[in-house]
Amino acid sequence: MIKGLYSAVSAMVMNAARQQVISHNIANIQTPGFKQILTTAQDFMQNQSVYTNGNLQANQVEYVGTLGLGTQIGEEFIDYGQGAMQSTNNPLDFALQGNGFFTVKTPDGNRYTRDGRFMRDADNTLVTVDGFQVLDDAGQPIELPDGEVSITADGAISVNGAAVATFGIGVFADPEAELQHTEGNLFTGPTASSGEDIPQVVQGYLESSNTNISQLMTQLVEVGRSYEAAQKLVQNQDELLGKTIASLGRIG
Amino acid sequence: MSSSLFHTLNISRQDILSHMLDLDVTSSNLANVNTAGYKTARSNFQEMLNAQLKEGTQMRATQALTMQGSLRTSASSLDWAIQGDGYFGVTLPDGTLGYTRDGQFALDADNTLVTASGYPVVWDGEITEGMTNVNVNSTGTVTATDADGATAEVGTIQLTRFPNPGGLTDNGKNILLESDASGAAQAGDPGSENIGTLSSFKVENSNIDLAQEMTRLISLQRTISMSLKAFQQTDTMISEAINLRKA
Repeated sequence: MIKGLYSAVSAMVMNAARQQVISHNIANIQTPGFKQILTTAQDFMQNQSVYTNGNLQANQVEYVGTLGLGTQIGEEFIDYGQGAMQSTNNPLDFALQGNGFFTVKTPDGNRYTRDGRFMRDADNTLVTVDGFQVLDDAGQPIELPDGEVSITADGAISVNGAAVATFGIGVFADPEAELQHTEGNLFTGPTASSGEDIPQVVQGYLESSNTNISQLMTQLVEVGRSYEAAQKLVQNQDELLGKTIASLGRIG
Repeated sequence: MSSSLFHTLNISRQDILSHMLDLDVTSSNLANVNTAGYKTARSNFQEMLNAQLKEGTQMRATQALTMQGSLRTSASSLDWAIQGDGYFGVTLPDGTLGYTRDGQFALDADNTLVTASGYPVVWDGEITEGMTNVNVNSTGTVTATDADGATAEVGTIQLTRFPNPGGLTDNGKNILLESDASGAAQAGDPGSENIGTLSSFKVENSNIDLAQEMTRLISLQRTISMSLKAFQQTDTMISEAINLRKA
């Protein structure tokens, strides 16, 4: 019975962890380039279950199968699926159509991102909203002279018609395995691209967060109700335990 | 992995707070749909994640989207509009230099060229008593007609541009200030490269896209109500944990 109590509690703990991930996803519904985090639940542990017929002398135990000891939160996955394109008309907003990432330079090293909200800084260097430099295909910061910025679909940037640089785009055949989510909206991974199909770069658009609202809402309800059910189970187990202690041991 | 429900509550709190700020930004955009020279402000949200600890979102900064607004014709020769990247310079009451795209100028009692809010416009020249029909041409030459009906050049006006105009600080009343983010002011004659040209009898409309802002308002309301749902549910979960032991 104690086993059941802990199983039920493990479901509460797991759902509390899922609630955190869902809240994080909900908080980033409006963050361009955000990739939603998916959670998994898994079996905690299996135990062999035995049955004794109550006759202590006979010492007969029968194996009746396995007993699960609850659940735990499994590995998290990033959903690298494409987000919807949102028109902004801002010439320094860029979006990627297809697999791939812009390369940016952070104090901790180069990172990949799908967030194309760029701007010129005070020195005319192209930076992200966090102030990180956007890198070109040679790994150098991109300096944009004054003037009108235009790009080609393969990421070549020109200002007033003169070629300036080409976006350094990392393409990964299996981002799930090769990349890690490090800081906000940034991923770390190998320096060399492993994929081939370079995505199309689109100007004046942003890629919306790929969170799926109806899915999030469903998950929210699911977590809330599972938590509630687990709580009820803990209470039930507790009640039974209380009864066992109070009445089973009573003589006369 | 830490999964404190109180931390989750804090994610939603931070989330609601940042989106309320965005609601302010969007409301201000909608309120300025008819303000000459006004530039759309955008809230830039960013995911917060530190050492695998999820912290939701935060509003990194607001950014002015400085795309050109459309020009409309007006009846006043003192309505000057910029087509291009430049800004008019104005002197604020405390002596600092401000910048604006709103060129609906007027002459005050001392024949000083002032903005709609009464701040003197920075230009090189003088308008004397009795002059009318003050005009500017595309390259910044200001002309006026005197009492005798003769039209002559009375001065020139320069415009100022910035490497990152989106980073200018908003000082209210459609006046912007130079900041570290905007980069240094670069003055230049209208008509020269990247500065833009001037025209009289024109007003630059606000560059707000009404449909886009309304859509934003709707999606924002939905996002906030969803965040509230998450918040309430976390609260319920905390209460369920507290009531684990049946009374």
